[in-house]
Amino acid sequence: MFIDIDCNQTKKYNQNAYGDYFTSKKYQDEAKLIAVLSDGLGSGIKANILSCMTATMLLKFIEGDQIPISKAAEIIMNSLPVCQVRKISYSTFSAIEADEEGNCKIVEEGNPEFIWIRNGEVLQPEYESIPSKTFKNRCLKVYKLKCELGDRLIFCSDGVTQSGLGGGRLKLGLRREGLIVLLQDKLKENPDISSTELSQYIVNQARNIETDRLAKDDISACVLYFRDPREALVFTGPPYHQQKDAEYAKLFANFKGKKAIAGGTTANLISRELNRPITMDTTISIGKLPSCSYMDGVDLVTEGILTLTKTQEYLESGLYDIDNAAGKLVKFLLDSDCITFMVGAKLNQAHYDPALPIEIEIRKNIIKKMASVLQDKYYKKVSIQYM
Amino acid sequence: MDKKISVKVCLGTTCFVMGSSNLQELIDTVPRKYGDKVEVEGVPCLGLCSIDWEFSKAPYVKVDDEVVKEATVEKVLSAIDAKLQ
Repeated sequence: MFIDIDCNQTKKYNQNAYGDYFTSKKYQDEAKLIAVLSDGLGSGIKANILSCMTATMLLKFIEGDQIPISKAAEIIMNSLPVCQVRKISYSTFSAIEADEEGNCKIVEEGNPEFIWIRNGEVLQPEYESIPSKTFKNRCLKVYKLKCELGDRLIFCSDGVTQSGLGGGRLKLGLRREGLIVLLQDKLKENPDISSTELSQYIVNQARNIETDRLAKDDISACVLYFRDPREALVFTGPPYHQQKDAEYAKLFANFKGKKAIAGGTTANLISRELNRPITMDTTISIGKLPSCSYMDGVDLVTEGILTLTKTQEYLESGLYDIDNAAGKLVKFLLDSDCITFMVGAKLNQAHYDPALPIEIEIRKNIIKKMASVLQDKYYKKVSIQYM
Repeated sequence: MDKKISVKVCLGTTCFVMGSSNLQELIDTVPRKYGDKVEVEGVPCLGLCSIDWEFSKAPYVKVDDEVVKEATVEKVLSAIDAKLQ
């Protein structure tokens, strides 16, 4: 199973820093992820620092694998200081460790209880309570669950469940029950909604029910969705051994999932081997990139190195929705979960002519950089096959 | 009516950075000048720079079977004129 995870947030109105903090990390080798959502006391910069410290420390504690997640959370719970003014703890948190088999360990302290949805129904998991030895009012909830394909886990800060508090319609705020109704309605309408969209939806709804649509607290929603991965293949560069062209073209043709080609020579190779004509976009390329081409059975055909270099830049700086070939490739990549790169090792000497007005990178290096940004920043599963 | 003259502008990496991005204006100007006698299109790669690299003469344009090296708009237009004569 693939775990689609995302978090969306909005900050309290009139504040210039987020008081909730979300952090997560995927461990490709172990096929698992850790995510932490923390809500810092108060709002603005102070809350930002408190929640950020709690979340990052907890993540570091858990990822070391030296102590179990419940123990790590217990230590944090027992050591979080108490606010001098309000006499309550500095921050609350939820942490989750989930693997691709669906095994999840969750700990919560102070945050609203998470919601587990399967086939539109909310499940009530068992938990173990660990009261704090040092603070009477703190209690850790530890869950162990087994998620199945299609399950969703929703975490949020109290900004969501308390939204609308004291306002007109919802005197006690949205509360957990209200959120569940919202979620069930949305999932009925759009059963395959991505975590990005669902978390955005929760945040928007929570803000909308606030008086004057001004968030009275920091609002955060984190969603995990266990689903089948969306596979994609990017073929770039001609193979080192030309006699293997046919073999690789066949591999490409037989791939189940979305396909892209980045490279003129590569496109010609596939066109020749699979006997599929290429037509080029007739619009004149805007900016510094050649436009896309079209081929039957291929979702995207672009030029090679220049487009890849630009794509890598966009991915790193988080620029989307740009109307050129690289922008399209960014969208292609981000719409997938598991991405395979087939990278031809053959070099074109002409690219390294010092007379060229711009420097052309080595394909392998760009793909390596792209793979790491896709993994680290966008949590994609990436594999590279050189040929 | 005779067969149309085909003009293929290489938009591969080498040609593109060596100036074929500017040759794209041919897509607009040629039909205006020659009507439907000439057809201009961009192609992903003509594959010429990789075999001709020692004398790299990108950008390349193909006017029917004739290769125009270090192509400029003027060179391509005169190649078309020569064909039409």
